[in-house]
Amino acid sequence: MLDWSVIFHYSPFFLKAAVLTLQISVISLIVGLVFGLVAALCVLAKNPLLQWPARFYVWLIRSTPLLVQLFIIYFGFPQFGLDLSPFWSGVLALALNTGAYNAETIRGGIQSVPAGQVEAARSLGMSAALTMRRIVLPQALRLIIPPLGNNFVILIKDTSLVSTITLVELTLTAQRLIGSTYKPFEMYLMAAFFYALLTTGATLLLKKLESRAAWSHA
Amino acid sequence: MKTTEEKTHPMIDIRGLRKCFGALEVLKGIDLQVAESEVLVLIGPSGSGKSTLLRCLNHLETPTSGEISINGERVNRTDLSARAFQRHLNRVRTHMGMVFQHFNLFPHKTVLENITEAPVQVLRQTREDARRTALELLERVGLLDKCDEYPARLSGGQKQRVAIARALAMQPSVMLFDEVTSALDPELVGDVLRVMEDLARDGMTMIVVTHEMGFAQRVADRVVFMADGDICEQGTPERIFNDPQQERTQKFLGDVL
Repeated sequence: MLDWSVIFHYSPFFLKAAVLTLQISVISLIVGLVFGLVAALCVLAKNPLLQWPARFYVWLIRSTPLLVQLFIIYFGFPQFGLDLSPFWSGVLALALNTGAYNAETIRGGIQSVPAGQVEAARSLGMSAALTMRRIVLPQALRLIIPPLGNNFVILIKDTSLVSTITLVELTLTAQRLIGSTYKPFEMYLMAAFFYALLTTGATLLLKKLESRAAWSHA
Repeated sequence: MKTTEEKTHPMIDIRGLRKCFGALEVLKGIDLQVAESEVLVLIGPSGSGKSTLLRCLNHLETPTSGEISINGERVNRTDLSARAFQRHLNRVRTHMGMVFQHFNLFPHKTVLENITEAPVQVLRQTREDARRTALELLERVGLLDKCDEYPARLSGGQKQRVAIARALAMQPSVMLFDEVTSALDPELVGDVLRVMEDLARDGMTMIVVTHEMGFAQRVADRVVFMADGDICEQGTPERIFNDPQQERTQKFLGDVL
């Protein structure tokens, strides 16, 4: 049966690991949002010098595994003198990865705002940038919050991969404690519990955000 | 904008305007002048190029060739860099208010915010000034009580009157109306047309694309009948409606009246 005593005994380790997982998630989330927004705007730009690099980025990230991306950054980049700490290697890989998916989500949201909205704004003398900022993005936001939320939840779960580059987050914590307790079921269960806690918290927060972004009630 | 000296140019001056979508020539060299305070009504079968002509005026469509000037100022200048041309367009567009068939109100902003958005963001008016003007305009279109509603709560006719107020808030020299009653329930058309008639009486220069022949007869100074991307016939409403010369015009009016 479940050995509750090891669970209670080792829960402080998991709590500490959950904080690290949360830190990695939140920083990657913010950087990934910036990457996603910039990439989406570039993909939609008429200038091919903006469009093609952004398309390449999205294609490259979406067609390769996150684990390989992580290894290239952590093990591969030092070959060229770019020696990032495990923490920042992890954050960079996760942010680049989620950013590509965010870019597609944001692009879709922007494109689903009716063309008439842009025409109305431009006919009032608003510049393209002003139209994007004041008219299109606020409307796109309402549409993209739910799918962005999915990307966030995936991001939190994907942080488990940084256990492979010595970051003692939830998954590696479980693995290490198994070495001394020989209780893999309890230890992985604890890790799973904290992941569920984090993802559920994120989902609830996003639900709140979603209802705040709804402006019309007809 | 307006000077005391005698005007030597029409309010709108269109010369040799052509517009092609791929191989399709939608406007085949339009020449048209509109005087200050004139109400010009464009009629014609769908696909005749009326809306495209209107949208070329404020460069929502890029003309293939030809010249368009408003109040003596060339709209589609070719002597500017891409950036400078965009700035030029943004400024010229503030002189032309446009109202669309499908309203295109901003759904995430209240009625008042819809109207004050461009005056504040583009003309750099203070919020208080923009708000005062907006409330005056809302009173004029009979919707003062709706100022804090979101567009989704309004009927089509109310939305269209807000759209007119939004365009007027920029204090344009010309108003362009693109089939503004076509998407409305019949009983809501009257309120919108009344607002437009008021505007015409106040001396606004207007170009109106419409299928409302009653409005054309009552309000137009001049009716232009378009067919196949060209002006087929034009004249006073009395002349066009009572004594059309061209066969195309006779057939069209026979079909719609």
